[in-house]
Amino acid sequence: MDFIIGGAYQGKLEYAKNKYGLKDGQIYICREDKDVNFGRRCVYNIQEFTLYCVKNGIDATEYFKEHRPEWENSVLICEDIFCGVVPLGKDMRAWREMTGRLCAYLSKEAESVTRIFLGLEQKLK
Amino acid sequence: MNVLISGGAKNGKTGFAQDIAVRLSAGGRRWYVATMIPYDDEDRKRIKKHIDDRAGMGFITIEAGKNVGSVFEKAGGNGTFLVDSVTALLMNEMFSTHGGEADPEAVGRCIGGLSEILNKAGNAVFVTDYIYSDAFRYDEFTENYRASLARLDRYLAEKCDTVIELCAGSVIFHKGGLEL
Repeated sequence: MDFIIGGAYQGKLEYAKNKYGLKDGQIYICREDKDVNFGRRCVYNIQEFTLYCVKNGIDATEYFKEHRPEWENSVLICEDIFCGVVPLGKDMRAWREMTGRLCAYLSKEAESVTRIFLGLEQKLK
Repeated sequence: MNVLISGGAKNGKTGFAQDIAVRLSAGGRRWYVATMIPYDDEDRKRIKKHIDDRAGMGFITIEAGKNVGSVFEKAGGNGTFLVDSVTALLMNEMFSTHGGEADPEAVGRCIGGLSEILNKAGNAVFVTDYIYSDAFRYDEFTENYRASLARLDRYLAEKCDTVIELCAGSVIFHKGGLEL
């Protein structure tokens, strides 16, 4: 699994498309109102799935652990949402924490970790 | 040489950028392109602090809150230009006309002006703000601004020789280096 992280609008998906030659049909875009689907090679906007988890009482990291064979060879992309002030809303705090824990797990499990900064790649692992 | 400096707020980007600009200019002419249009006393205090900070560094200040490509006319030639900041430039172009609505042409105008500087200045240092990593759902207005600033930042990151992220005053090179 290759893990890509970076702030909003930094060009994470564009980078993944170029790097792995992904077509639109190979990319699953997570939503806050839907379960994740690991059927495609690339899973994008994982922070939306973690928000879905918060709303539905699911532990995102446990969920990923249980479905490990389904994403073992995937490209996973998550937005870095960790540099702002502590969010005021309880759900938003839980969301940030759950996303952070999941990212730490995915970084540990990943073959490569890349941060995208202003469209430029920074190899972290 | 063109250098882009990004990073979180209050990391010392302006001071660092001034040092780089002084070194790049190698004794030649250096221009500080001031982009902030003051609206209140807080703004005026901040500007005063910046002016005091760069006193004695040999910068000539050019006011260009908008239409940043006009700096050459005002400077009457090339040299080393410090543009501080891209963030303010976009804010001014995007929101100060158009009756409170975001001006859809703002990004295009900024890119036009910035490309002039990239191509003609000789040396340029651009300061921008990294505002892309917080856990918050912004309104459409703010999201539009964030997405637009990212377009400018990524344009500059692609064109500049050196891209630096400043973190608590420490330097992370994302592209190129500084051999000064």
